[in-house]
Amino acid sequence: MHLSSAEETIQRLIFSLSELEQLGQTLISGHSNFKVSSKTYLRIALGTLQVTRGAILCYHETDNYLTIAASTPELDETQIEIEPDEVKCLLESPTVDIDSPPENLQHFIDRNATLLDVDAMHRLWVPLKIHDEFLGILCLGKFLGRAKLEAWEQELLTILAHQISIAIAYSRNEERIQSEKFRLFMLAESAPQICQLLQPEDAAEQVVHQAVALLDSNVGALMLIQPNEPNLELSYVFPPDILASNDTEDDPENKFIISMEDVDESESQTSQYMLVNVVKEGRTGQCSAKMDSLFGGRNLMAGPIQGRDGDVLGVLVVGDKEERGRRNAEYTFEDETLLDSFAKQAGVAIENAHLHQEALEARQLQAEMEEARKIQENLIPDTLPDIPGYEVAGHYEPRGPVGGDYFDCIELQASGWGLAIADVSGKGMQAALLMATLRAGLISELSSATVPNENELVDMKNELIDMAMTLNSLLYVSGTEEKYATFFYSHLCPDTDTLTSLNGGHNPPLIVKNSGEIVWLGDEVGGLPLGMFPNDMVPLIAKYEAEQTILESGDIVIFYTDGVTETVNIDDEFYDEERLEQVAKTCNDSDASQICERIYKSVMDFQGNADQFDDLTLLVLRKK
Amino acid sequence: MANKFDIQVRAEHEYAVLETAGYLNDALGEDLSKKAQELIEKGYTQLVINLEQTALINSIGISILIEIIEALDERDGTLNFCGLSATQERTFRMMAIAKYAGIFPDEKAAIANF
Repeated sequence: MHLSSAEETIQRLIFSLSELEQLGQTLISGHSNFKVSSKTYLRIALGTLQVTRGAILCYHETDNYLTIAASTPELDETQIEIEPDEVKCLLESPTVDIDSPPENLQHFIDRNATLLDVDAMHRLWVPLKIHDEFLGILCLGKFLGRAKLEAWEQELLTILAHQISIAIAYSRNEERIQSEKFRLFMLAESAPQICQLLQPEDAAEQVVHQAVALLDSNVGALMLIQPNEPNLELSYVFPPDILASNDTEDDPENKFIISMEDVDESESQTSQYMLVNVVKEGRTGQCSAKMDSLFGGRNLMAGPIQGRDGDVLGVLVVGDKEERGRRNAEYTFEDETLLDSFAKQAGVAIENAHLHQEALEARQLQAEMEEARKIQENLIPDTLPDIPGYEVAGHYEPRGPVGGDYFDCIELQASGWGLAIADVSGKGMQAALLMATLRAGLISELSSATVPNENELVDMKNELIDMAMTLNSLLYVSGTEEKYATFFYSHLCPDTDTLTSLNGGHNPPLIVKNSGEIVWLGDEVGGLPLGMFPNDMVPLIAKYEAEQTILESGDIVIFYTDGVTETVNIDDEFYDEERLEQVAKTCNDSDASQICERIYKSVMDFQGNADQFDDLTLLVLRKK
Repeated sequence: MANKFDIQVRAEHEYAVLETAGYLNDALGEDLSKKAQELIEKGYTQLVINLEQTALINSIGISILIEIIEALDERDGTLNFCGLSATQERTFRMMAIAKYAGIFPDEKAAIANF
């Protein structure tokens, strides 16, 4: 059947109306993503206008380029640069005839003739826009069986272009809404999630991951201020290999530390300066990609991480922002606000995790202290042996954290009695274990001691020196750095009333002679504390020496630790040796136990309400 | 989280599985979109995206997943997700992705529910 021209037009109009309805359906069908629906729009436009070739180009305002959303036949995906004055010209033109374009567009057409296959495909361009917003171009090829569009076809083309413009704008708005919805959800979701993390390392990792995803970034880091140090130290970085590009020669552990004192105004263009400034001002900051290689030299944005009381704990850094189809997008004011909000939540989470960790460590330390206390108490003798012709008494008062005081009075298998007092450096389990080592070593040495007699007094001195060297070696290999013990040992031979003593860096005991005279024991022959230096260095510094004293009836020997003489009162004065001497002088008519009590009471009276942190130990020997 | 970015494709007779590894951002998302599109062009209308090795997704990754759902929907196809973390699942439900795609705990369940 041959249709008249009028009938043909009516049929095409009906077809066009039905296609327009389909366009409307496409728009409201939920297929809002223009990248997916663009082919449908192009197919309808080409079919309705009876055009065989064409394309829809979408405009990306931020970087001034067009991309091919759909084309028939298919063109290679590419970015087509367009100048702002060319966009302006397109906005002012309802249509552009490629054979006679506006002067301002000629250069653009020439530039992209090959890219867009202008000769074969594109004869008429219709700028896609809503009000003054340029969205893209609908490009049409040759018209089938006619040189140009009829008037009604022109009107139809205008409607089609408008529909496509709405679809692009709708798609972009939908994308923006989805993105904002995602960000808001992430912001709401991330807070309770990261606040549940109790390990600082886990919290740091999650905070950085969430910030990176939230701000469409590709780099993230958390840097925290170190306690008592003006440094920002890296807690976590994403991706983990980003620092590999930095010069890490001086930083083998890849700790990455920024000193907050060394950065000055001359470095105001660097990322380091920006991060330090964020800490100092407590305000979000940004810097573009820099010559310095911090986090790969990307554009960075950083927000202050604050604790509950507002103190800045560190900085949360994100970098290398991306947008769909491109990297290195700039962070916006909205991004700054978002980072700020997230950093506030992150601050609470980071602080929580650190407080939890500190509480755990404190609990662990307390448990360790309890264990150490038990070990230490087991090392202190409950009762002291009876020494014929002598009285002996001891007092041990734990005060504050577990220290390392030790005293003992041991009957020797060979002959005589060993009186020892020591103070191990440090606190806690390490001190308790070192004390246990010292005691075990001492008992072992004493069990192998030879029997002295009057003619062997010199040998006894040497024996004590040998014992000190053995104990020194034992403690040196057992202890960690700065672990040592001050030690005073006296061997008492009751048969001869000879007291042979050796001092390893301990407070010299004092002897209150029956006459009232005071003698400081071992003061002149002091040696090094045990375990401080290896044996081969001891003779070079201060070799051990021993001395001998003959005790007479009524003589009192008072051994003590620095917990006695270093007790402070509320005026921060030390009890010191002078007060000990004074009270000792008043003890002539007392037995050993009473002397212990009297000295202890004197120290406690002096202390009053002042706090004490060191143990107090006394060992008193009195010749009847 | 492993810093490994990768997509593994396993095309079976009636369905195909895409496994992602690493941060689902623009780069990995575009790669995923391209591979999904290739499968759709080949006639696959039942796809599984396994996100077990992807702990982190940004808004661009989400928009690309939505794009794949729409592309499949145009062909009356189905997309099922599996291997999502609890947070990802909540995100997918909130973003209405779960309305147009299935969410299953593992690949077996995702495949069985086409």
